[in-house]
Amino acid sequence: MTLAEASTAPAAAAAAAPPEDAAPPRRKSWFRRLLRDKAAVAAMTVLGIIIFGAIFAPLLATHDPYVNSRSVMTPPVWQAGGEAEHLLGTDGQGRDIFSRILYGSRLTLLIGLVSVGIGGFIGSMIGLLSAFYTRLDAWLMRLMDMMLSFPAILLGLALVAVMGQGAVPVIIALAVSSIPDCARISRGIAVGVMKMEFIEAGRAVGLSDRDLFRKYLLRNCISSIMIFISLRFGQVILIGAALSFLGLGARPPMAELGMMASQGRDYLLFAPHIAVIPSVVIFIIVLCANVAGDALRDVLDPRLQA
Amino acid sequence: MSTPVLEVRNLTKHFPVKSGIFKRSTAAVQAVTDVSFAVGAGETLAIVGESGCGKSTTGRALLRLLEPDSGEVVLDGEDVIALSPSRLQGARRHMQMVFQDPFGSLNPRMTVRETLMEPILLHRVASGPAADKMVSELLKTVGLNDYHAERYPHEFSGGQRQRICIARALATRPRLIVCDEPVSALDVSVQAQIVNLLQDLQKQFGMAYVFISHDLAVVRHIAKRVAVMYLGRIVEEAPAEEIFATPRHPYTRALIEAAPKPVPGAAEGREMVMGDAPSALRPPSGCAFHPRCPLAQDICKRERPELRAMPSASGTAAAACHFAETVAAMPAESTRPTPEILARRLAVLAEARAAQAAAG
Repeated sequence: MTLAEASTAPAAAAAAAPPEDAAPPRRKSWFRRLLRDKAAVAAMTVLGIIIFGAIFAPLLATHDPYVNSRSVMTPPVWQAGGEAEHLLGTDGQGRDIFSRILYGSRLTLLIGLVSVGIGGFIGSMIGLLSAFYTRLDAWLMRLMDMMLSFPAILLGLALVAVMGQGAVPVIIALAVSSIPDCARISRGIAVGVMKMEFIEAGRAVGLSDRDLFRKYLLRNCISSIMIFISLRFGQVILIGAALSFLGLGARPPMAELGMMASQGRDYLLFAPHIAVIPSVVIFIIVLCANVAGDALRDVLDPRLQA
Repeated sequence: MSTPVLEVRNLTKHFPVKSGIFKRSTAAVQAVTDVSFAVGAGETLAIVGESGCGKSTTGRALLRLLEPDSGEVVLDGEDVIALSPSRLQGARRHMQMVFQDPFGSLNPRMTVRETLMEPILLHRVASGPAADKMVSELLKTVGLNDYHAERYPHEFSGGQRQRICIARALATRPRLIVCDEPVSALDVSVQAQIVNLLQDLQKQFGMAYVFISHDLAVVRHIAKRVAVMYLGRIVEEAPAEEIFATPRHPYTRALIEAAPKPVPGAAEGREMVMGDAPSALRPPSGCAFHPRCPLAQDICKRERPELRAMPSASGTAAAACHFAETVAAMPAESTRPTPEILARRLAVLAEARAAQAAAG
């Protein structure tokens, strides 16, 4: 009564088992599942509207964002004294806030996307490589530690001092400051994946380093890294807005959400909407980016769909 | 045994222990030392031993998933250890592995089709529609269905995943498959299915298995030869039936006695081994087993016994013990009468089975 005997019964059962040759129904696609998540749909809709508004700003804007009008500090329409002509009121120089928000979110989103794209790509590559080639690990990570000791704001100040005011030094500063964070996070994720047995299984099959990196490591890390990058997107927009607020980003006549908030600071007591409205837009962008990022992870990671 | 598929000579792998800021190696974990064995086509060699004895390291060093420090691994006349990295990648076609953990050894981001397609395309076994056909054949061979191909590993049970792993190992028609505890993560009924599947496939395709396990019941069932490892060395090697009937090394005896016996009321073994396995960082002097051995004498502390041939029915048994010749055969399994209650239950079971057979 050993294995030989014990095994015959279940083996026979297994042989008889697959009568249901028709495949059972499959799960829905990830996109369909994403649409079931109400919060994600709401966040992505709002984000979509803001991006749409930013892209088509010249068509949607009711006024030229740089031209002053005679009505200064008009409150938004829903407040007493609001004018239908200026939906969200006007700022201290009589410029239409609605139009400036449309143009302003253009620059804000662009700075956020470009800097997080560059920083996230370089950073996660460094992180993945240092997990994959353990010999590089210590060197790359000490380099990241050095970069980490530079605050983004300070780097931005230094770059602006060298390159002059504008969006480019801000983008560089934000990208560079995103690199070490992304590198550390992605290294952490990748080290965990490298310990899994399937990496060894891939080697045993005979995969080259390149395939192993792309098909085994990257594919298993990418969703977690994307979540981090989408969270970082929110942060970068905040830091970018802070830099503009400090007067480092866009040059004054240009519209940028952080700078608009900063200019509204002077009128905070008499016309709070001038500072509050752009701040609320920043808040909404950051919130929606985070909610959407989280939801994407939930549907894209097969391990979370037990 | 005619010309063996796999011949391993003096395989050694020590892991340096590095400490201090200059990373000087201060000691070495002697995971595998001087291991030699051979496996013929269609044959199964089992490597058994307790955890930490170097079984898995041996398996990985064979396939150069770990670089061995020295030794030769000759697969079909070609020394795998001497191959350049690019040649090695090609040679991997002939040697595959099935891992212990079916949950961790499949890429969770790849469908079964992608997983199986990978070795086929990589080693140019087939391409295009022929490769597609091969995938569905492989699935059938291991007892899965065509529609499973589009699924991801997390949609399967442990036994099914292990079937996928076996299919992946089979894809290139290898000459050797190293099975590293392929069934120890599965529950018992599934274990039996997988072991039988492995045996059927061996009969069908004739590859050699190196079967690493700590489960003697499984080993007895599948292996033709058994090598027992203790602290990185082979202490006994013999055909399976001989090693279970007349174990010559006291460690082998202890292993066999420690295995649960499927006989109700069987007597417990008497020669119990005491204590834990010593550290592979500092193996004991002489025979590594002497601190735990019930037969240990002074000579065991001074001199390490070499693995030497033993007189046996097959003439291919070997053991590394100073007293191997004097050890008696395993006591025959106790012939206690079957308790009455058990006899009654067995009778009921037999009746039920007969009834079922009649009905089916």
